[in-house]
Amino acid sequence: MAILETDRLTKSFGALAAVSGVSLAIEAGTLHSIIGPNGAGKTTFFNLLTGALAPTSGTIALDGRDITGTPAHRVPHLGLARSFQRTNVFPAFSLFDNVWVAAFARAPSRKGIAWRSADRYPEARERALAALADVGLAGKADRPVREISHGEQRQLELAIALAASPRVLLLDEPAAGLAPEETKKLVALMRGLKGRYTIVLIEHKMDIIMSVSDRVSVMHFGSLIAEGTPAEIQKNAEVRRAYLGGVAA
Amino acid sequence: MSRALIAILAAIVVLPLVVRPAIASEIWIFAIFGLGLNLLLGYTGLLSFGQSTFFGSAAYVAGWLLKHYAINVFLALGIGVAVGAASAALVGYLCVQRSGLYFIMLTFALNQLFYFIAYQWTGVTGGEDGMPGIPRPDFLGIDFGEPLPYYAFVSALFLLSLWIMKRIVESPLGKILQAIRENEVRAEALGYDTARFKLAAFVIGGAFSGLAGVLYAMLFGIVPLEAIGFVTSGNVVFATLIGGSGSLYGPVIGSFVFIWLSESVSTLWARWPLLLGVAFVIVVLFFRGGVVEAWARFSAWRERKWRSSRQTG
Repeated sequence: MAILETDRLTKSFGALAAVSGVSLAIEAGTLHSIIGPNGAGKTTFFNLLTGALAPTSGTIALDGRDITGTPAHRVPHLGLARSFQRTNVFPAFSLFDNVWVAAFARAPSRKGIAWRSADRYPEARERALAALADVGLAGKADRPVREISHGEQRQLELAIALAASPRVLLLDEPAAGLAPEETKKLVALMRGLKGRYTIVLIEHKMDIIMSVSDRVSVMHFGSLIAEGTPAEIQKNAEVRRAYLGGVAA
Repeated sequence: MSRALIAILAAIVVLPLVVRPAIASEIWIFAIFGLGLNLLLGYTGLLSFGQSTFFGSAAYVAGWLLKHYAINVFLALGIGVAVGAASAALVGYLCVQRSGLYFIMLTFALNQLFYFIAYQWTGVTGGEDGMPGIPRPDFLGIDFGEPLPYYAFVSALFLLSLWIMKRIVESPLGKILQAIRENEVRAEALGYDTARFKLAAFVIGGAFSGLAGVLYAMLFGIVPLEAIGFVTSGNVVFATLIGGSGSLYGPVIGSFVFIWLSESVSTLWARWPLLLGVAFVIVVLFFRGGVVEAWARFSAWRERKWRSSRQTG
């Protein structure tokens, strides 16, 4: 059954339809990739799913329930978490505080929020440490963000999303700007996360897409032009024309 | 006990021996005011240029009740805190709808609105003449009319305020406010209703401002019109930045520097604000973290020097 489903989702900026009539069903437990050239509307699509932007028309359903128009700060509580294409963390914080803030947002109880010491929420603390351990940053919990490398910041970006204990994880180009070895580590990490979460992945690097995805959807000028298994997408002529352009032809 | 707390306790004891008790009291009152602002400015990253709205409103309301109904001193403080928080809830609700420059201008404009209400409503506030004749009622036989008992009272309330603020900034709320300062978009994406948290910072800051306002009115026996004016709002921002907005103790040090300079140097030299101006320029150019950062850097430099002299010697 589809855990996340959009129906003719559209977002227009003036005359430009950045996302145009996208109907997509994400099956629970799968890793579903969305690919497409720059400007195809992939990130805008994520912004619609997370409530950062309101759609012009169309609906979004989570577990069959219509969640269209839910404000951005409510969406994480429905079990949807995202990472950002450009690292979007809390620069003056330690790595631990970065993930702790994400974990506490989903704490079962905010009792004593203005009075009790922040150290005295063991559940949030454990979830924060587990998220750092998941991405391999447990040893650097107390380091400030400015002291870690770009690759590690990308891992932190992912850890923040994980700390929110989501059911659906929306990852926006987690490999952006990574060196080849770092990319390999990330692919291994994605394989580990697969199955534990339903993952929607926006990515440019075809080798990542082809090796981790269960299904692939292709966006072009705001519309979906193809969907299938990685093998099917690779063979699809229309995709080759749109996405790979002259290189493959 | 931390070193900062020891230093503050020592200052509380020594201060009335060095300066007039009224000035000593004013320093701690202004420090309470600064603590409230700093939750907004330093922790949440919101520059409010309208803190005297809450300070002045509380001073007028509690002052009026003290004067006409001779209410109990703690009741007056409680009312001041409530008025400060309520006026901050009203102003904050409007201001958090906008950000950046528009936010700052809104805090300023609403401050001016309250100022002109106080200016026009002469029957209650006394307008330009201020509201004089505010008593300091006795409590349990302690005569707060005497400068030293009142100083002790103010100092105790300052320590209480500092402790409460310390608890707040070390709580999850303190961390969430800092997260909003660092990256509001991400904080919202994590599931925090950032507008509500910013409003909470306003209300708490307003409560502290209100407490300071009532203590100020009782200290001088008058609520001058300037208590609700933009110069007072500017002064508390000024003092907090000089002390260091990045830390809990910054506004305390800032208040100390600001009040001490304004009260002692001003009698010697009428152009004393020039000195403050120079201090402010130095802070902005070289020590964005104020006196607190300057001190930390000086300590680090001294330690390096001490180490290298041991190695060579």
